[in-house]
Amino acid sequence: MSGIRKTFGPVVALDGVDFTVAEREIHGLLGGNGAGKTTLMNVLYGLYAPDSGTVSVDDREVEIRSPRDAIAHGIGMVHQNFLQVDVFTVAENIVLGTDSSTLTAADGSSQTPAQRITELSERFGLTVDPSARVADLPVGVRQRVEILKALYRGARILVLDEPTTNLTPQEVDDLFSSMRAIVDDGMSVVLITHKIRETMEVCDRMTIMRDGRWITTVDKADTTADDLAATMIGEVAGGDAEAAALAEAAQVALGEEELGEATLTHALPGAQKAPSGGAAAGTVTHTPARVTVRGLTVAGSGGKPLVDDVSLSLRPGEILGIAGVAGNGQGELAEALTGTRTATGSLVVDGEELVGRPTATWLRRGVVYVPEDRQRDGILPGAGITENLVLGSHRTRSRAGMINWRAARSEAVEAIKEFNVKTPSAATPCGQLSGGNIQRVILARAFAHEPTLLLLHNPTRGLDIRSTQFVYDRVRRAAADGCVVIVISEDLDEVLALADRVTVAYSGRLVGEFARGEANPYDLGRLMTGVGA
Amino acid sequence: MSNDVTENPGATEVTDVAVAPPLSQRARSFAFAAIPYAVAVLAAFVVVGIIITALGHDPTEAFRAVLTNSFRNQTGFVQTLHKWAPLTLLSLAFAIPLGAGRFNIGGEGQMILGTVGAAAVGITMSELPMVILLPLVILVGILAGAVWAAISAWLMESFKINEILSTVLLNFVSFEVLDYVASVVWSDPGAGGAVTLPVGEGAVLPGIGRPPMHTGVLIVVLVSVVAAVMAKRSVAGFELRAVGLNERASRLHGIRTGRVAVTSMVVAGALAGLAGAIEVAGVHQRTLEGVQSNFLLLGIIIGLIARGSLTAVPFVAFGIAVLEVGAGSMQRVSGAPVEIVLILEGLILLFLLMSDVATERFRRARASRAAKGALA
Repeated sequence: MSGIRKTFGPVVALDGVDFTVAEREIHGLLGGNGAGKTTLMNVLYGLYAPDSGTVSVDDREVEIRSPRDAIAHGIGMVHQNFLQVDVFTVAENIVLGTDSSTLTAADGSSQTPAQRITELSERFGLTVDPSARVADLPVGVRQRVEILKALYRGARILVLDEPTTNLTPQEVDDLFSSMRAIVDDGMSVVLITHKIRETMEVCDRMTIMRDGRWITTVDKADTTADDLAATMIGEVAGGDAEAAALAEAAQVALGEEELGEATLTHALPGAQKAPSGGAAAGTVTHTPARVTVRGLTVAGSGGKPLVDDVSLSLRPGEILGIAGVAGNGQGELAEALTGTRTATGSLVVDGEELVGRPTATWLRRGVVYVPEDRQRDGILPGAGITENLVLGSHRTRSRAGMINWRAARSEAVEAIKEFNVKTPSAATPCGQLSGGNIQRVILARAFAHEPTLLLLHNPTRGLDIRSTQFVYDRVRRAAADGCVVIVISEDLDEVLALADRVTVAYSGRLVGEFARGEANPYDLGRLMTGVGA
Repeated sequence: MSNDVTENPGATEVTDVAVAPPLSQRARSFAFAAIPYAVAVLAAFVVVGIIITALGHDPTEAFRAVLTNSFRNQTGFVQTLHKWAPLTLLSLAFAIPLGAGRFNIGGEGQMILGTVGAAAVGITMSELPMVILLPLVILVGILAGAVWAAISAWLMESFKINEILSTVLLNFVSFEVLDYVASVVWSDPGAGGAVTLPVGEGAVLPGIGRPPMHTGVLIVVLVSVVAAVMAKRSVAGFELRAVGLNERASRLHGIRTGRVAVTSMVVAGALAGLAGAIEVAGVHQRTLEGVQSNFLLLGIIIGLIARGSLTAVPFVAFGIAVLEVGAGSMQRVSGAPVEIVLILEGLILLFLLMSDVATERFRRARASRAAKGALA
């Protein structure tokens, strides 16, 4: 691919990007959120037409107008969201949309599709049962189905978009060895990721992108994790102080946290590991619990509860991390813990039982929820920032049923300054803000409640490094003020970076418990898949 | 993508934040918002003008009659205000639940029940003095409308029965109720139709001026002001808007969304019931078949033209009242049938919706052109 340029309205997503992937190589495509990695690959896969630039396959210039064209040229892509028909079997999903409309042997072929799937899965270590129903499979296996789908269609160049996001460390290892087997067979793999650790582990070469531009392409042998991190973050304006401030979020974003030896001190002069809430852990051990949860349960539609008998005891200033693969009841747990979903059991905050009380009461007692889906659950997209900041406290701030909007507006202006929300005005509809700024508005509102229990669910998903660090700083400051913080996150690195104590959500239960520093990603990984429970 | 401004190094300093966009920008966006209205009204008049011509009448004469009838003399103006009162109430009865994302298509049923309740009190207690009877008539009218809407609200909240269906179907039930009351229970034998006996003298709203304007108009003015202020400033208005904008987010932030939706429906019913009571006590002194006129349809049109803004509703309602009152005069003067006015009203709404699409396209085209210019 050379000179690829793509704009969306006023936004330049790709600016003259060159990208080459060789035969028999795993090529890492590295960059932060918004760097343009996925956009570039979507151009290759025919999902976006580039404004300018050319794509060549095997030295021949080709025009790719649709995924169908891409597949015809041997390009396959596995997206973060799988497009699978839940009620179909693995084999049915794989052949769906191909010419072999039946599962029996096609004319002139010696193999039935099922045989071919089995052969592919054995050859590349992509273990999967072709007759299993896709809906019953865990994420890791569904991903293998997706890879098989691409291989079955004859892909020679396989693009994987952030494939490790929802995998346990064990599944990541399996995936990486399959990728190796695939390139050993003469194919090519492009691994889109923002985690340097992964590229250093599995890639032969890597290309780094930033702000829609190609920065560099290097061989693994010629680089170090530190160099990559420095290149990825780029010049940080504001000098050393800001570089230091961003160091930790960068580490987490790049997956450097548990690398240990690969710190960013070289890349970012003056960088130090940010003071963590863990420092407080030793001193608060003997203080009484501020939040006590006992037997919290959310009934499911079938026999199996969505949240199953969760008990916790949390001291002031403590940050509890809940790791886990998506879909293990985290959303329901988050809602049950914040009084936004009907649950049974007990949750006591500062001596007051809250289960069974209306959500407004929970909010008044300082139980504040920062939801995962910001657009759907967090904001009124059509209302201005002022109104969004008032949401939830509109009753407590009213007199005789009337809201003092003048005061609300001036408070909003202050909050916008304090939380660095980039907006033309306080009246700008929240839906027009970027993801990072929406999260800042939500946090500004959350902290205005003076939380006693702050629950954040995937709080930095989709945020750039600066906003991520901002969230971490704010969370730590809240904990330092005595607030109990629960961070539910699918990003294991994030949980490990923030939490004083780590537990794992599996199938609606909380399993295992580790103090800060004792948690090992592989132990957690076993719990996340239900093996070690 | 990189439109996340926080990614721009050095751009994180927020120096000054405006509470609202500057006045010049607001004036421009107001003008921008006014264009679709002007275009829609103009286009509707042009099309209707063509229709009138095709029917063999003179459009200028017809339009002059429609637009001037309300202002030529006292009678026309009072007539317009008498139309305006129920139109405003029925529009509010549509627009308030609309704020919470609910559709009340039962305004006429609620209004009919309002007339029945008001007439029942006015007829059976006709001997009572006005200070007692008139408030009672109004109050029972309001209650009857509220109860009628509450049926739909209850079905919606408890059994997830679509409120559009239940409100529409209850309209048909209300026709039968009215028919039964007007031709069986308190039928006026001399009227020769489904008409009730007149209410007692104490149940009649006093008039002001000459020709007399009934004081129900003043009640509606008061209601309009209260509704506009509540919508803008009150907790209830905020919760209503929040539920309409994002029901899930509202629930997660402590708003009892079901209660808000039910309340909005019941308040809507109460307002439609008030409209019924005012029609009984101010205009007909009884209730009769057809008392609901086509206020439901016009209320929906007004509510949509006002885009759900409770502040705008009374003004739009006045414009529609002018057209409605002018319709008869138009038929007399130019021969164009009265139904032409309904076509005109419908077309205004239709063109307004179409110009929404057009302005959105225009805005996007301009934005992308500006972006391209910036890049060049």
